[in-house]
Amino acid sequence: MEIVLALGIGIFTASGIWLLFRPRTFQVIIGLCLLSYAVNLFILAMGRLRMDAPPIIERGVAVDPSQYADPLPQALVLTAIVISFATTALLLVVLLASRGQTGTDHVDGEEKDGEP
Amino acid sequence: MSGWASHLVIGPIVVPLVAAAAMLLFNDRRTWLKRALGIATTVALFAMALVLLQTVSTPAADGGPARPLVYLLGDWAAPFGIVLVADRLSVLMLMLTSILGFAAMVYALARWDRAGPRFHALFLLLLMGVNGAFLTGDIFNLFVFFEILLAASYGLVLHGSGVVRIKAGLHYVTINVATSLLFLIGVSLIYGVTGTLNMADLAARIPHVPASDLMLLEGGAAILGIAFLVKAGMWPLSFWLPTTYAAAAPPAAALFAIMSKVGIYVILRLSSLFFGQDAGAAAGFADTWLTIGGLATIAYGVIGILSAQTLTRVAGNYILISSGTLLAAIGTDSATVWAAALFYLVSSTLAVAAFYLLIEPVERGERDELAPGAPGAIFEDEYVGTFDEEEDESGIAIPATIAVLGGGFILCSLLLSGLPPLSGFIAKFAIIDGLLIFEDTISPTTWALIALIILSGLAAMITMTRAGIDLLWTPADRPQSYLRVVEAAPIALLLALCFVLMVQAGPVMGYMEATARALGQPHLYSEAVLSAPRISQPAVAP
Amino acid sequence: MAVDRLLLIALILPFAGSIVAGFLPAGARNAAALLAGTIALIGTAILIAAYPALPGGGGLRYDIEWLPSLGLNLSVRLDGLSWLFGFLILAIGALVVLYARYYMSAEDPVPRFFSFFLAFMGSMLGLVLSGNLVQMAFFWELTSLFSFLLIGYWHQNQSARDGARIALITTGAGGVCLLLGILIIGRIVGSYDIDRILASENLIRSSGLYMPALLLILVGAFTKSAQVPFHFWLPHAMAAPTPVSAYLHSATMVKAGIFVLMRLWPVLAGTDEWYFIVSSTGLATLLVGAWAAIFQQDLKGLLAYSTISHLGLITLLLGLGSPLAAVAAIFHTVNHATFKASLFMATGIIDHETGTRDLRRLSGLYRYMPITATLAMVAAAAMAGVPLLNGFLSKEMFLAEALAEHSGTFVDQLLPVIATLASAFAVLYSIRFIHQTFFGPPPVDLPRQPEEAPLWMRVPIEVLVLACLVIGIVPALTIGPFLATAVQSVLGDRTPVYSLAIWHGFNAPMLMSLTALVAGTVLYLLFRDRLNAMKRSPVIGRLKGRKTFEAVLAVIVAGARWLEALFGTRRLQPQLRVLVCLALIAGLLPFVRFDYRPGPLPVTLLDPSFAIVWLLGAACAIGAAWQAKYHRLAALILTSGAGLATCISFIWLSAPDLGVTQLLVEIVTTVLLLLGLRWLPKRVPDHWPEARVPIQVGLRRSTDLLVAVAAGLGMALVSYAVMTRPLPHSISRYFMEHAYFEGGGTNVVNVILVDFRGFDTLGEITVLGIVALTVFALLRRFRPAAESVASPVQQREQTASDHASPDRAVGDTVADYMLAPKVIMEWLFPVIIVFSLYLLLRGHDSPGGGFGAGIVMSIAILIQYMARGTRQVELLLSIRPLRWIGAGLLCAALTGAGASLFGYPFLTSFFSYIAVPGVGTVPAASAVLFDFGVFGLVVGATVLILIALAHQSIRIPRAPADEPKASLPASDGGAA
Repeated sequence: MEIVLALGIGIFTASGIWLLFRPRTFQVIIGLCLLSYAVNLFILAMGRLRMDAPPIIERGVAVDPSQYADPLPQALVLTAIVISFATTALLLVVLLASRGQTGTDHVDGEEKDGEP
Repeated sequence: MSGWASHLVIGPIVVPLVAAAAMLLFNDRRTWLKRALGIATTVALFAMALVLLQTVSTPAADGGPARPLVYLLGDWAAPFGIVLVADRLSVLMLMLTSILGFAAMVYALARWDRAGPRFHALFLLLLMGVNGAFLTGDIFNLFVFFEILLAASYGLVLHGSGVVRIKAGLHYVTINVATSLLFLIGVSLIYGVTGTLNMADLAARIPHVPASDLMLLEGGAAILGIAFLVKAGMWPLSFWLPTTYAAAAPPAAALFAIMSKVGIYVILRLSSLFFGQDAGAAAGFADTWLTIGGLATIAYGVIGILSAQTLTRVAGNYILISSGTLLAAIGTDSATVWAAALFYLVSSTLAVAAFYLLIEPVERGERDELAPGAPGAIFEDEYVGTFDEEEDESGIAIPATIAVLGGGFILCSLLLSGLPPLSGFIAKFAIIDGLLIFEDTISPTTWALIALIILSGLAAMITMTRAGIDLLWTPADRPQSYLRVVEAAPIALLLALCFVLMVQAGPVMGYMEATARALGQPHLYSEAVLSAPRISQPAVAP
Repeated sequence: MAVDRLLLIALILPFAGSIVAGFLPAGARNAAALLAGTIALIGTAILIAAYPALPGGGGLRYDIEWLPSLGLNLSVRLDGLSWLFGFLILAIGALVVLYARYYMSAEDPVPRFFSFFLAFMGSMLGLVLSGNLVQMAFFWELTSLFSFLLIGYWHQNQSARDGARIALITTGAGGVCLLLGILIIGRIVGSYDIDRILASENLIRSSGLYMPALLLILVGAFTKSAQVPFHFWLPHAMAAPTPVSAYLHSATMVKAGIFVLMRLWPVLAGTDEWYFIVSSTGLATLLVGAWAAIFQQDLKGLLAYSTISHLGLITLLLGLGSPLAAVAAIFHTVNHATFKASLFMATGIIDHETGTRDLRRLSGLYRYMPITATLAMVAAAAMAGVPLLNGFLSKEMFLAEALAEHSGTFVDQLLPVIATLASAFAVLYSIRFIHQTFFGPPPVDLPRQPEEAPLWMRVPIEVLVLACLVIGIVPALTIGPFLATAVQSVLGDRTPVYSLAIWHGFNAPMLMSLTALVAGTVLYLLFRDRLNAMKRSPVIGRLKGRKTFEAVLAVIVAGARWLEALFGTRRLQPQLRVLVCLALIAGLLPFVRFDYRPGPLPVTLLDPSFAIVWLLGAACAIGAAWQAKYHRLAALILTSGAGLATCISFIWLSAPDLGVTQLLVEIVTTVLLLLGLRWLPKRVPDHWPEARVPIQVGLRRSTDLLVAVAAGLGMALVSYAVMTRPLPHSISRYFMEHAYFEGGGTNVVNVILVDFRGFDTLGEITVLGIVALTVFALLRRFRPAAESVASPVQQREQTASDHASPDRAVGDTVADYMLAPKVIMEWLFPVIIVFSLYLLLRGHDSPGGGFGAGIVMSIAILIQYMARGTRQVELLLSIRPLRWIGAGLLCAALTGAGASLFGYPFLTSFFSYIAVPGVGTVPAASAVLFDFGVFGLVVGATVLILIALAHQSIRIPRAPADEPKASLPASDGGAA
């Protein structure tokens, strides 16, 4: 499992960064989406992998933490998801505005030669 | 501290939040209500900062150094819950923030708060984010507050819209979103190695990190560092800064002056906590990098100032210079230099804020393309603000504008180039003095730093002289510029504070020295946080 | 009151006066002059009162604590030397004030002039009275600043602006060097206190830092005192009003450098470095100045260069390093101040009366202004060193020193010759000054008809000239004691025996003076006409200090621009590349240092279906990266595929909450992006010249690919390394143990979100709210690009067909479009709402919670928009998202604050168990209330963003619109 997840994170990151370097706003925003997936999985991975042990406990019984997946990274990921959702939305609107104002969807708001 | 006073620490975060939320409940056209609320909030922030300053600088009962105030959110004991920590450093920053906030808010009354919807709410939320970043004692919560202040700053950069702002905003947002991802990677990596997020707890745990995990820890810390350095504006991560700040509306830009300092603050805080003297294997981590980066940043800032075409770029590059100076100073790891650097931090922030506020009146009539509503609205529901109505309830234009502007400009130039009689001179003197005495034989990097500090002052002087002569002395057919009281007053306030800093240099420097000493003793901080008592043990369920 | 306090007052008064003068009305010429004059006189009186304490090496000082921890106090310190300088500053200052009152025309804003003047006087005074060196540097820079303002007083003239700027930058830069030098001295001695520094000369001279300190301080002094090669600023400063020149270039500004040299002479002088640098500089300046002065056609220019040469003379004397030379230097400083001030004033009168300062146009003025002429002649004679005048005495001392043996090098051999030569030049230009101006035929076509100057304008000159005479005739009785005190304070026990007699017998110096006098006269008679023909001075006239200065500045700026272009960028992609690369390096360096090692844990067994999920996920990601440019929709779908893989792995890895939330967010994000696609431009495949990708583009792409792969690899390696290490003793154990008993929930993640780390959640929803505000504000000003304003093809066709067929009203087709799904969606509305409330309430115990619920709720609303179309929906339900946001935030924040009512910290949650019939006991935690806040805000924010974006399509241009107006429901009036 670990290897697959690690590779998956790696591939997401790579694709995301490749897109991040592209000159078109849409490419960049897609890239950031992919990157945020990668990062969320990364955070989860920091709590190590546990199968079928969601941190939902029995009522009123003393629990043995080692029987459950680490809840903290999950909480962090939830926060991260929300924030990345917000920023994605904002970025989208900004890029639309930039497209409207500058007439191009180049990240610099102007076409560069040799910069398709 | 008991009763209401004990909740004072949360105030700087909750008060602006509640005020902003309340503002959303009523109509955006009720401008004066919002203004009153906004001003009142900034004043309240200042008052709270003042009381906190009082508290944290009074020595402990046993005569020992003052202990930081620790606030356990949700009454959960550290390190499990999130804690807020108010010590000398954070309170100093709170104070600075509240002053800038008040000045910029007043200045905005002139007209900028009508350049787009919901200015006051965004403004207060930015203050909330900044204060939170200064107060929190938890690295993930720090991330959250960074996001708050960033989100608000996006709003303020784009406030008033216009192509310049949108172009700059696009870059600003993209870079910071990417940076936030780095922040997350760094934080989670550190958690993965140490199993905690609480700064004090981390400071306690890092020395015991097994050597086999050290590379992960340092990797995480380094990535985290990059995220902060982007905020602080270290070369080569700083290219966005002058452009963005130049595009923002003056009051926003003036407030942004504190944002680069947030990065500096965090670096200072974390490096002193995590990699201070008693950090074991990881001690002194990245000091050299900070120094080198700082030097490069100053150098780039000098270049930028010399080649600047507009005053706003001068200001932006000055921010780079001050960041570079501070980073290099932090890299020295000497309490003397740190104290001087803190003094410099305060002085330079006030100075550049005043300058941002001053630029617009000085150049008035040349930067109108940034004024909102300039291209007449083309949609029915388009927001044009009450911007272009020239009947101004916000204060009469004051006479002798040129004299006032000229005076203000000269004072700003003096501050930027570190010349007497304002605090800039003291700050420069103190830093160089500290650099000259902190090591037995002065190292080449120290010489380089001194030389660069001197050069930066000269560069600022050369550029500002040229600009000032062109703008204020050369007879031009520009329309007789006008200046409103609400614009002049905040500038005057900030400059006056710089003067006070100079006159009261002794006591102020005393505070800074105590602060630097406290930074040198991270264990006191950790003990204070980890031993903070809960109010109660809530009743256990049946 | 003690006299030392009085000194402080003398120091403060000018600044106070400056402020007062600044606020006087522009017309108040007399008031300002009176103020300035009084202050100067008071100061003089105080100095005189303080004098008795000084003779015999005594001194006064008064300290005020300023910055003790850095050894910086505000200390006023008076000794012989500073007394002498202070006296010159104040006394001559008073005279200049009187003179300026009559010189400045009533049109000028004279109070401003006097305000600057007083401030400058104060700075000079502060400089000479400084008890520690940093304070001295402080006032030093102030003199630069105020001289800048004085020189640029007539800033409507180009020349004034340039002169001021050159002076400021030159002397200011010098000042910075001085400061640094002083700081180095401070490091050597361990104090900035002058007394301590003067006491530790051996320490300084033997220190390894002596050389840098010396150089820096000398640069400072030389720039200020206009020594070659920094002398060029002084002639340009002549653009200042003449009273300013009379003050700055006789007694004050330029003497500041001299003062510092004298002040530090005891500790710095006497070494070979000092001897060679200082004396050779002085020598060069002496000659260059004198030589250039000969060829000036402007009276003030002539005086300017003669000032330079006299400063050179003083510097030379100080450089020689012998006590006697020092005495001569101090003495000459006084004399130069007196005669040069009077000459400048005389020039001012001439300028005033005739309207020109051009030597070639002036002549024979004696018959119009005999008194002024006489005064000028005496002063000029003093400048030339004619016997019975003060200039002569110090000149004699100088010549005597020139003959004496110092280092036994060529300098010694040359000195007598050069000294004589320089004196000859001095004679020459002095004669030229007088003869050209006052003698010869009556002047022709002068701008103004000359006449004698008003009495009070002459008085200052008369006083100064009288001083020249008295000192020149009875030196011992007049200047003698004061000079002695000053010398004593500098040289201490090294004070030599010297005599101020005017007649030392017919000795070598005498001979040299006579030679100089004769030579000068002869030269003038020979060359006078050719001198008048001269455009610029030969030899040195070619090196234009000012041009060089400007050129250097220009080069600096150009260089800076070039460097900025080289090391900076304003484009996004390079910045992102740098960011990623630096992060990569920062992240990987530690692994290089400690080498990479995976952890000891055995990897968990791989479930093949998980592998398949990830195969697809990876394919989607790569596909998205591949397609994002030309096929946005495809890329979007592929991205969602990748997101789906993420959701599945979340659930797989026992994080149900994440799975749910991610899925919901996924939906909304996709919808958002879909809404956005409509406004993006059509992508045409880029066709390159000669149909192939250019090299640099290919190169850039491959490097990008490289970096991307490296980064991916790095992330993979790091995460693998962590996942294979045992979990450290984490704080989350505590959460598991306390979630139910103290948090009242069984879904630990949710308890963390709303309780343990509820503060994070509060922050996160704040972010969402802020973003919504920003989006709202931005879209209110949104301008679609021209080509994407038109409504989509399909819509147009439908409308067209409606128009075509008579039995249909416009919009019917759209209305009937996808009727069946529409109905379904409308029916879904309540179902989804119930579901979202369910999520909200159960959240505390099992997957769900405020955020998820909020998203679901907004999806419900969104679906309504899809089904019924914007306008209908808004007719049905009135949505005021901003209120939702505000209310949500308030609810969350106040829930948190509520705790403080009970004395608990912010966000402390309370809970108890309520018995609900049929359901049993359920825990009711205040955290749930908090979750309501979250819910409200999320609904508000999401709906606001989606709707605001959706609305772009139905906005109506301001052009006269006939169809019903749609306004943003988000607009605060509360639409619909």
